[in-house]
Amino acid sequence: MAENNEKVLIKGNYAIAQAAVNAGCQCYFGYPITPQTEIGEYLSGKMQELGRGYVCAESELGAINMVMGAVSTGVKAMTSSSSPAVALMQEGLSYAASDELPVVLVNVMRTGPGLGYIYPAQGDYNQAVYGGGNGDYKIIVLAPSTVQECIDLTYRAFYLAQKYRNPVILLADGILGQMMEPASFGKYPYPEVDVSSWALTGARGREARKIYSVATDEKKQIQHIYDLFKKFEIITQNETTYEEFNTEDADIILTSFGSMTRNIKAAMNVLRKKGIKAGCFRPVTLSPFPHKRVSELAGEGKDFIVVEMNMGQMFKDIKYAVNGQSKVSLVNRPVGEWLSVEEIVEAVESIVTQGLTVVNPGGVEYAASI
Amino acid sequence: METNFIFAGFGGQGILLAGTVLANAFMIEGKDVTWYPCYGAEMRGGTVNCEVVVSDTEVSSVHKQDTDYAIVLNQQSFDRFVKRVKKGGTIVANSTLVAETRPRADINYVFVPMTKLANDLGTSKVTNVVSLGVLASACPIVKKEFLEKGVAKVLGEKKKELLPLNIKALNALCEV
Repeated sequence: MAENNEKVLIKGNYAIAQAAVNAGCQCYFGYPITPQTEIGEYLSGKMQELGRGYVCAESELGAINMVMGAVSTGVKAMTSSSSPAVALMQEGLSYAASDELPVVLVNVMRTGPGLGYIYPAQGDYNQAVYGGGNGDYKIIVLAPSTVQECIDLTYRAFYLAQKYRNPVILLADGILGQMMEPASFGKYPYPEVDVSSWALTGARGREARKIYSVATDEKKQIQHIYDLFKKFEIITQNETTYEEFNTEDADIILTSFGSMTRNIKAAMNVLRKKGIKAGCFRPVTLSPFPHKRVSELAGEGKDFIVVEMNMGQMFKDIKYAVNGQSKVSLVNRPVGEWLSVEEIVEAVESIVTQGLTVVNPGGVEYAASI
Repeated sequence: METNFIFAGFGGQGILLAGTVLANAFMIEGKDVTWYPCYGAEMRGGTVNCEVVVSDTEVSSVHKQDTDYAIVLNQQSFDRFVKRVKKGGTIVANSTLVAETRPRADINYVFVPMTKLANDLGTSKVTNVVSLGVLASACPIVKKEFLEKGVAKVLGEKKKELLPLNIKALNALCEV
């Protein structure tokens, strides 16, 4: 895949893999799992061709630790996996955040909990944004909604990881991983980050360096955590991104993340034709989350309807940001067929006319206390 | 305006490839298009299917419940997807392997013996490409000139020698 603007019809998984190559990813470590196996498959050949590193790890735990080892030397490296196997990597993410290692992890989500199954879902919002690792730490989370964005945000993931020395998760889903769309790669658009001040490159001619997360000194540990959170404040100020459509005159704002955004945009257009002033809001960075913008929109009296393929995970972030200024409702299904445009339109209409707060189209009758 | 297509048949009939050619054809024509396969256990034996959605603007949802066109190459797929064709939609069936029945009155049926036409060209392997030619005759937004370009793109340099056969397969219906 040439680094030019020619459009190619490509699967999300292959797009992510080739974008990683273009971004200068020197090493890939991974263990196969549907629906993201094509990433490893593609890189197994490509990395060899380019004389770069590829290891099919013995386990997910092995893979994440190999990535930590590789990035600590200053090179770009990544792993990719899917939900239940990303769960196995949570320890590594906590360590990488504490060690300030620029790990890039791609999660192509499938259903859960437990082993779940291979079809697409969005149930790992909490896992990615709030983490399953121990301690106070934050990860940068990017959520693509198209194959083109799989490329653009993979580029961004590698850049942000090194720029801020912070782990980054690219949170895609089975639909994006498996679907083909026309997309173009262009060139990796970011500057190379100077890592010479911290990378472990051999101590010849300089002081030895250590990257570790054990903290026996209480004061230092307190300072370390504050430093991590100060850094994330800067990330929040500089890197929070979102998309919005027709929000200016909207009474209600549909919001979602990842590939579900496509459906809410289409639903918005249908609702507008029916005379309901709907807009769309979509966080591109799930962490840092655009709380501030959501709060502003809610302050203008706009109601929010969160549409997602889980039991209401991003819903809580929206609710937190809205903070009682306006009404927040949820349209959701935990797993299975993506909520269709028709289902979303119908759900929104019943929220508007009947004052409902939770609608589970085609699902089990379930009254959530929210 | 959004239109969607489901291709379905036995694993090995080139279903995913047929969808890929159509998606490439739309891309070359400058439309926005997505291709989405069934994946996982379904592929190990039984039927395989993929969905192509094309739009003049941005494609909204994939993985839709119903379809404007279903292209089915075996009986199993006919039985399964005839229910999912929208009212007024069209099912394009390979009558070499599908019985000519019309279980619904509110959709259109196109029966063409695609495997036979492919065999007449020397190999049943091009049944999938024959089906694209048939689709072009049944669906005004699918254009043969772009299908030809789509086939060429999918075959690429490596399999260029197969292009003439595939072009013949695209036009097989016209030559009956």
